[in-house]
Amino acid sequence: MTTQAITSEYLLLLRGMDWDRELSPEEIQKVMVRWNAWYDGFVREGKVAGGQPLWREAKTVSGKKGRTVADGPFAEAKELIAGYIMCRVSNIDEAVKIAQGCPALDYGVTIEVRPIAERCPVWERNDQQLANVSASVA
Amino acid sequence: MSAPAENSEPTTEVSQLVEHLFRHEAGKLVSVLTGIFGTERMQLAEDVVQESLIRALQSWSYYGIPKNPAAWITQTAKHLTLDLIRREKTFRSKQSEIIAFVEGWSADSGADESPMFENEIKDSRLRLMFACCHPSIPQESQTALALKTLCGFGVGEIAKAFLTTEAAIAKRLTRARERIRELQIPFEIPSGEELSVRLDSVLQTLYLLFNEGYKASSGERLIKKDLCDEAIRLATLVGEHPMGDKPRTHALAALMLFNAARLSTRTDSAGNVLRLREQDRSCWDKGMIARGMLHLQKSAAGHDLSEYHLQAAIAACHCSAPDHESTDWAQIVRLYNRLIQINPSPVVALNRAVAVAQVHGPGAGIAAVEAIQARDTLDSYYLLYAVLAEFESQLDHCQAAAEHLRTAINLTEIKSEKNLLSRRLAECERKIAPKK
Repeated sequence: MTTQAITSEYLLLLRGMDWDRELSPEEIQKVMVRWNAWYDGFVREGKVAGGQPLWREAKTVSGKKGRTVADGPFAEAKELIAGYIMCRVSNIDEAVKIAQGCPALDYGVTIEVRPIAERCPVWERNDQQLANVSASVA
Repeated sequence: MSAPAENSEPTTEVSQLVEHLFRHEAGKLVSVLTGIFGTERMQLAEDVVQESLIRALQSWSYYGIPKNPAAWITQTAKHLTLDLIRREKTFRSKQSEIIAFVEGWSADSGADESPMFENEIKDSRLRLMFACCHPSIPQESQTALALKTLCGFGVGEIAKAFLTTEAAIAKRLTRARERIRELQIPFEIPSGEELSVRLDSVLQTLYLLFNEGYKASSGERLIKKDLCDEAIRLATLVGEHPMGDKPRTHALAALMLFNAARLSTRTDSAGNVLRLREQDRSCWDKGMIARGMLHLQKSAAGHDLSEYHLQAAIAACHCSAPDHESTDWAQIVRLYNRLIQINPSPVVALNRAVAVAQVHGPGAGIAAVEAIQARDTLDSYYLLYAVLAEFESQLDHCQAAAEHLRTAINLTEIKSEKNLLSRRLAECERKIAPKK
């Protein structure tokens, strides 16, 4: 009997922009080499589907109809999202394991692991309520 | 199922990344950018370079390493600089001029950068060197600043190399940058009479940089080797430039190359210090020795005879001898005699005594040590006792030798040196024992 592992998608959100300030160019280079070994390894295994870095520059849009457009995100540098990585694994523990290998953790970067919902939870809730209503009517 | 590829073989992309690429690119870029921003804003140049490297790290970590990493970093630094120039009011008066310069900075297709810009970079590096090594900046700050800006060392690494705290290094760097601002030290290679004095100051700093790496004190071995390599790179750079191409520059380069050629054989695989006669001469770096000989030839042009010349000549005697016994010790003694005239330091005199003992025997060596002027300054110098112990044991005065060795062991903090001395002490004691 074979059991098919169900793969789900998880997003790793990497936070922290200024962790490099005390590093020498050489040390930065070393982190990069380690990062590549880590990231490429999971890409080859098919567990990482992709990822992208984010630059620091930002605009924040808020207010009704987006009237307010401000320069920069309102977060401390160490809380800024520096990039994301998309994982395809069977459960959250496996996604956590991938995150644990990130070389930038040693320098204060934090990683948030979030399961990706197949449908927007708002719609999901809406549908549930609708179902409840129709059930009570019936 | 399969374990994460933590220690997987490096991918081809990673191995394309040349060792020390970032460190060397950083040094070049800081030099060029300091030229753009002015020496009073050296810190800004460092920040732009750091930001470029971080962008490389972030981008390459996800997308892989580009074909020409150096060009990528240069291009990024260029963009960041242009952004900054357009934004900052302080640059408004010179804005168009700077923008034209930065845009002419070729970072395309990469590997063979336009030769003109290559010279421009060399020029900038030399100017930065002259600014960092200005005689009005305290010596210890000069070396720290040179390492930080020219060689791309981190504060932590510099602290490890100089066996001090990061805070102390940060302070030295701040002080150096302040001095440069206060004195409005220009970003230029001095000319005329000033050149000679200022060049001496540059060479002196490079010499200290090298010694910091070379001396057998503790500290991280890899960082220490890098210090030596960087000092050699910079000295070579100075010697290649028409303004720095002076006999004493080449003498210094030769001296560094000869000593560095032996660096890896000075310790055994367990990190124990090996004496000259114990070193495996076949492992001395012949390429470095050959380069050293070339510089030594160039150093002989003209009548200049600096301390570097004599030290280089002594090192050349060692490097060209096939073994310890056939070393031209008489020539070494003659060179030390000249060296003492220029630099009457007790440490030099102690080294001379070693050479004297090789020519005239250990008894003459002891006499030479006793004749050292201002010998009391060596009272707490462990090598004095190590040298005396060597002479005494050659005379079979094992008791006296053991006595000196014990003093030496107490005086040194360096573990590898302690081990070597203890090994020698054990030998002595073994010789003493049967007589009891």
